[in-house]
Amino acid sequence: MAYYPEPVARLIDALQKLPGIGPKTAQRLTFFLLKRPTEEVTALSEAIARVKAQIVNCSICFNVTEEDPCQICSDPARDARLLCVVEEPNDLLAMERTGQYRGRYHVLLGVLSPLDGIGPEDLRVRELLARLEGQPADEVILATNPNVEGEATAIYLAKLLKSLAPRVTRIARGLPVGGDLEYADEVTLGKALEGRREMG
Amino acid sequence: MPLRKTQAVVIGRMALGESDRLVTFYARDCGKVRGVAKGARRPRSRFGSGLELFTQGQLLFFETERSDLARVDSFDILHSFQSVRENLERLMYGSWAVECLGRLSADRDPNPALYGLLLRTLKALETPCRPPRAAFCFALRAVDLLGHRLRLDRCLKCGTPSPFGSKSGRLDFTAGGLVCEPCATYGSDGVDLSGLAVGGLRRLRTLSWDEALRAVLPPALEVEMAGVLEAQMARLIGQVPRTTRFRTQARRALGVNGGSP
Ligand SMILES: [Zn+2]
Ligand SMILES: [Zn+2]
Repeated sequence: MAYYPEPVARLIDALQKLPGIGPKTAQRLTFFLLKRPTEEVTALSEAIARVKAQIVNCSICFNVTEEDPCQICSDPARDARLLCVVEEPNDLLAMERTGQYRGRYHVLLGVLSPLDGIGPEDLRVRELLARLEGQPADEVILATNPNVEGEATAIYLAKLLKSLAPRVTRIARGLPVGGDLEYADEVTLGKALEGRREMG
Repeated sequence: MPLRKTQAVVIGRMALGESDRLVTFYARDCGKVRGVAKGARRPRSRFGSGLELFTQGQLLFFETERSDLARVDSFDILHSFQSVRENLERLMYGSWAVECLGRLSADRDPNPALYGLLLRTLKALETPCRPPRAAFCFALRAVDLLGHRLRLDRCLKCGTPSPFGSKSGRLDFTAGGLVCEPCATYGSDGVDLSGLAVGGLRRLRTLSWDEALRAVLPPALEVEMAGVLEAQMARLIGQVPRTTRFRTQARRALGVNGGSP
């Protein structure tokens, strides 16, 4: 390992903590930044500092927000009797992009993962239960990812919510739009068949 | 870059970079293999649902020169073990078994018998058998196959044959087996073990797999034996398995209790 000046080593070290960034990429990014104009780099560092200083988790839904409660939670036009549970703020944004959902959200800030030792106490599950006790919903949509962790979370929540919501639903899983049936594996196709619905 | 082909089971997975997945397989012919599946997290990835936990498939991978990570070329599902993933109890015990396997085996150390045991365990978890029993039988056999068999037939220090009548003994992990009460050193690395549990563990070892899954055991005895195996696993791994932590939390929240593992 070569010896870098201390500030360079410090930045490489800090960048390496980001997800998906290894020592090589961290090194490349650092030297890239060194070559950029000062104002550009200052803008980046300010943006990072500001996001940490100004963004909080909404105390109701745990989405990231500038004001608490967040825009969705304080919007009277959003149906408070319809609640969609997602893993992360990113998933909430993806749901919003559909433009089809008019209810509210609850962000778990994680997902159950037996192999990582992440249990219910590490997520915002207790807050979800308290929220539903205080403000009942007609339907809770479980929109966790269609993988082993998301599925385990949905199954677990469905058990807990049975007595708290009259209707608990799970988003459909199956074929990606634009995909070819013949290339789908048996599990995906089985799920698509399971989630089939009446037409016309 | 040599291409290799083997049957394998997915025993672990984590996100890597933008859209890749780092997958840990336990392969029949290669033992533990960690490989990168490019683009596996994209919805239309060619891997489909194949890289889900517990899936058994035909693995095709390239050895890479620069690291010990393989490059996954394809993984065609032979058996998905979907029903093990979609039941919380089965998932918890199945995860416990694959965590122990993953942490106790070294990369590229083939052990076809252990691969067979893993498959038998997952198949048992698909049946109405009690998931804790399947995990317990897995652990009992896995420690043997990995070369950590504990001697239970006599006191390791004075040679007195076990079980020691009404007296309990102590399983001394450092010594590698059972010691009788008078020989046991206070505070040694191990757990106390009743005469019944010693007999039970020895009996379960000699039974066939199916007999061991079905054997009727008093609940308290099963909890004691499972606790011993859990302790041995924690000792071998160097810490309490993460899946054990998960199980404790999940049980607490759902208001159910039960023995380990
Ligand atoms: Zn909110
Ligand atoms: Zn002795």
